Amino acid sequence: MCGIIGYVGADRSNAADVLLHGLSQLEYRGYDSAGIALADGKLDVHKRQGELSALENALAGADIGNQTTGIGHTRWSTHGPPSDRNAHPHTDAENRVAVVHNGIIENYQGLRDELSAEGIDFRSETDTEVIPHLIAGFLEDGLDHEAAFRAAIDRLEGSYAVAAVFAGSETVYAARHESPLVLGLADDGTYLASDVPAFIEFTDRVIYLEDGEFARLEGDEISVTDSEGRVVETSIETIEWDPEDAGKSGYDHYMRKEINEQPSALRECFRGRLDELSGRVTLEEFEGFELNPPVTFVACGTSYHAALFGAQLFREWGVPAHAYLASEFEAETMPIDTDSVVVGVTQSGETADTLRALREANAAGATTVAVTNVVGSSAARETDRVLYIRAGPEISVAATKTFASQQAALTMLAAALSNHRSRDLVRELRSVPDRIQSVLDEDAAREVASTYADASAYFFIGRGYHYPVALEGALKMKEITYKHAEGFAAGELKHGPLALVTEQTPVFAIVTGDGRRAEKTIGNVKEVEARGTPVVAITDGRSEVGRYADHVLEVPSAGEITSSMVANVQLQRVAYWTAHELGRSIDKPRNLAKSVTVE
Amino acid sequence: MGYSAVVLAAGEGRRLRPLTTHRPKPMLPAATKPILEHVFDALIDAGVTDITVVVGYRRTRVQSEFGPSYRDVPLTYVTQDKQLGSGHALLAAEPATEGSTLVVNGDQLIDSRIIEDVIAAHDREPATATLGLVRRANVTRYGGVLLEDGAVTEIVENPRDDRGYQLNAGVYAFEPSIFEAIRRSEPRDGEQSLVDGIATLLEVGEEVRGVVSEGTWIDATYPWDLLRIADDLLEDGEERRIADSASVHEDATVLEPVVIDDDCVVGPGAVVGPNVSLGENVTIGSNATVERSVLDADTRVDNGATIRDCVTGRGVGIGPNSTVAGGPSDVEIGDRVHRETILGAVLADHVRDIGGVTYEPGTVVGHGAVCHGGSTVSGTIVADAEVWS
Repeated sequence: MCGIIGYVGADRSNAADVLLHGLSQLEYRGYDSAGIALADGKLDVHKRQGELSALENALAGADIGNQTTGIGHTRWSTHGPPSDRNAHPHTDAENRVAVVHNGIIENYQGLRDELSAEGIDFRSETDTEVIPHLIAGFLEDGLDHEAAFRAAIDRLEGSYAVAAVFAGSETVYAARHESPLVLGLADDGTYLASDVPAFIEFTDRVIYLEDGEFARLEGDEISVTDSEGRVVETSIETIEWDPEDAGKSGYDHYMRKEINEQPSALRECFRGRLDELSGRVTLEEFEGFELNPPVTFVACGTSYHAALFGAQLFREWGVPAHAYLASEFEAETMPIDTDSVVVGVTQSGETADTLRALREANAAGATTVAVTNVVGSSAARETDRVLYIRAGPEISVAATKTFASQQAALTMLAAALSNHRSRDLVRELRSVPDRIQSVLDEDAAREVASTYADASAYFFIGRGYHYPVALEGALKMKEITYKHAEGFAAGELKHGPLALVTEQTPVFAIVTGDGRRAEKTIGNVKEVEARGTPVVAITDGRSEVGRYADHVLEVPSAGEITSSMVANVQLQRVAYWTAHELGRSIDKPRNLAKSVTVE
Repeated sequence: MGYSAVVLAAGEGRRLRPLTTHRPKPMLPAATKPILEHVFDALIDAGVTDITVVVGYRRTRVQSEFGPSYRDVPLTYVTQDKQLGSGHALLAAEPATEGSTLVVNGDQLIDSRIIEDVIAAHDREPATATLGLVRRANVTRYGGVLLEDGAVTEIVENPRDDRGYQLNAGVYAFEPSIFEAIRRSEPRDGEQSLVDGIATLLEVGEEVRGVVSEGTWIDATYPWDLLRIADDLLEDGEERRIADSASVHEDATVLEPVVIDDDCVVGPGAVVGPNVSLGENVTIGSNATVERSVLDADTRVDNGATIRDCVTGRGVGIGPNSTVAGGPSDVEIGDRVHRETILGAVLADHVRDIGGVTYEPGTVVGHGAVCHGGSTVSGTIVADAEVWS
C-alpha cells in the first residue's frame, strides 16, 4: 500500500514542489516513509522514514530548485520495516535509473537471487529494488531507456504501478498491472499518480491507464502504448469534483469534518433516487437489471459492516443474501456461477481483497456489482454495474461519512432490486440527514468520551440492524484510540464475552423502538448492569433501557433501519472524542492506511 | 489584483431566538439560502478572490455548510472563541490579512453593488477606512455616520438625535492600522466594537471616508423579518426557481413567486404560493395550503394543513389539518411586545405537532416542542415543551 507520483514540467519549473504537494495529498495511502527523485542532471534522490514532514525538513536546505522532471513515493510497509533505506525511490548501483512502485512483486525473491548471483548488492529489503537493477542490466545490454524499462516490467509478476526516471532525461516512464495509476494532462506539464487528488490542483484532465499498458510522459505530451508497443487511443476524462474538498475547512481533523458532512453527503446519495409520492426507489444505474437470488456480498473492514447491513435488508425484503469478508471469499470453493450476483462494497474501489474476489466472481461468470465512492476506480471499471455512494472524497483513514452513505446506498439497492415499495421507508430515508444533524448539534457524546477515556476496553452490543453498527462502533474505537474494543450481537454476550466485562469496561448498547428486539437487548443490558459495568445506551427513549444506563446518547425516534444510520453517528463521535482526549493521531492512526491495495 | 475579504459570522443574533438555538444568525434562511451565502455571492460577484470567515457561535454549522471553498474561492476559517464584539472578531482575523482588506458583516443581506462602490471609493481616494453607507429614514437601531464631502466626521451607535445620518451598512475597506485602533479603543461592557475602532481612527486624525450606495441592504432583527427578506428576494426574481430534483405533483398548484429547493416534494391538491420559500427536502402534503411563508430545510407540512405568514426552522413537522392562520397581532420577544406585527407563527427547529393544532397569530414555539392533537397554541412556548389542549 503506497502512493506514487510523477511529473514532467513543460518549461523550467520546480518539480520538487509539485511532487511534495502531490505526496501530501496521497498520504492517506500510507505514510511511514517518503521520497523523491529528480532527474534533470544526475539523479538526485532524497528519502526519509516517517511522515512527509520528515522529508520536507530534509529538503529544506537542499539545492533542488529548477528541475523539471521527477518521481515521488509515500510508503506503507509490506516488505521490510519502515526505514530510510527501504523508502522509495530505489536506484541501480550506478544511479542511472530511479524507480517508485506501488503493489507487490510476487516473484521478487527469484529475481533477487538471480541478480545477487550476478554480483549485484541489494541495499534494501524491498521487493521494488529488483526493478532498477533489472533496468540497469538491460541498459548494459545496449537497450535504450524505454526498451530497458519495458523489458524489466516484462519480468515482473504480481501487482504494480511503477514509474521510473533516468539520469539526465526529462521523461517519466510508467506501467501498471492491478494497481491504480492515473495520468494528468495540463498546459504546464504532465502528471501521473496513484490517485487524482495528487495533481487535481493543477489539472482536471485525466487518463486512466489500463492493466498492461505503458505510458511515456514528455513535456506536455503523454503517449500510451500496449504491452506490444502499439499506440493506444486513450480517452481524456474530466474530473468534476472540487479539489478544495481535500481541505479541512476549519476543523482540527478531517475525521471531524467528515463526520459533520454526513447530512450533506447523504442528501447527495439520495438525490434523484427517492420518490415519496409513489414510495419507490429508482436507481438509474440498475435499469433493466434482473435480480437472480441469492445475492453475495464481498467487502473488508467498515465496508464489510455495511455489507452485513445490506444483506440483512435483502433478506428482510424476501431475497436470500449473505455477506463475506473478501479475504475469505474463494469463488472456486463456493457455488458461484453464471447465475450468481456478487456485490463488492469498497469505498476506494481499489481494495485489493475485494477486487480479487470480484475478479474471481467475474471469472466464474457471475454478474458483478460495485458499490463504491470513487468514479473510475478499478472496482467501478471491472464490474457489470456500479452504484456510486456520492459521499465525496474521504481523507481520514477511519471511514465515517462513507459508511453512512454505504448504508444509505445499500438500503436503496435492496429496496430497488427486491421491488420493495414503501412510502414510510422513503419518508424515513428523507429524514435521515436532519436526524443526523440533530445528533451533531448536541455534545453528549463528548462528555461520555471524557468520562470513559481511561477505560481498559469498550464493548458494543446491538441486535438486528444494530448489530453491524455495534461492530462498526468497535472498529472506529480500535482504529483511532488504539484501545481494545469489540462489537457483539447482543444475544451472544452470555455465550462467552460476558467473562470480559468488568467495572472498567463500559458497554455501549444500541436500543431503539419498543419492539421485541429492544426488549431482548434490554435483557442483555441488565446482565451487564448487574455486574457493575457502566452502560451507555444509544436510544430513542421509546424503551426503558435508560433506566439501566449510566449515560444516554439520544437519537431521534424512527424505524430501526434508519435509526441504525443515526445511532452510528453517536458512536463515531464517542470514538473521535475519546481519541482526542487521548491525544491520538486521529486522521492517520498508526499501522493503518486509507485504502488497502495489497491482499 | 482581487481584494481579500473578511466576513464576520461569529454572532448568535439573540433577538432572532429561538431560531438561533443551533446556528448563528448568518445561517438563517434568506428565502432558501443562508444569509451568509448571499454575502459570499455579493463578494465574489464584486471580484473578491479570497475570503476569511470569522466563526464562533455554533461554528461547525458554517464550516460544514460551505467547506473549504465557495464558487472556487478559498474560504479560510478563524475562530473567535468568545463573542466579545465586532472589533474583537476582526482582530481574530488579523493574522490572515495583508494590506487593504474588505470587511463585511455576514448576517446582513447585501448585493455586490455596495461592495463595488466601497472598493471603487477606496481605490480612488486614499483613506485608512472607507465605509459603505445606505440612506434610511430610521437609523436608531444601527450605526449612524455623518458625512462631509465624502469624509466621515462622526460615527455614532444608535443615534437618537435628528442630524442627517447615513446608515452604516457594515461594509468596509480598511488599511492595517484599523487593528491598532481597535486595540486602543476602550471596551464597553467588556466588548470591543468595530465602530469604536473607527471612532478612534477619527480621533487620531486618520482619513475615514464614506460612500453612499444604492445597493441592497437588509437586516433581519426579528424572526418575522425573514418573511420580508424573502418577499424582497422573490420580488427581485433572481431567487425564483423550482429545482430539477424537486417533485411537484401534476395536480398541485404553484402560485408565483416561489422558490422550491432541491429534493422538495409537493403532493397532489396542494397549493403553494405566492411568496413561499421551501428549503431543501421540504415536503408539502396532499391538499395542504402554504402562503407567504419561509419553511427551512426538512420541514414537513402534512396533508390538509393551512400555513400563512409562517417561519419555520429545520425539520419542523406540522401535522395533518393544523392551521397557522396568519395576520397581524402583538408578538412578545423577550420583554418587548411588538404591536400589529404580521406573523402567523415562528416554529423553531424540530417543533412537531400531531395534527389538528391551531396556532394563534404571533405564536413563537421553541425548538423541539411537541404540540399534541387538537391543541390551540398561542404566545411563547419554551423549548422542548409538550403542549396539550
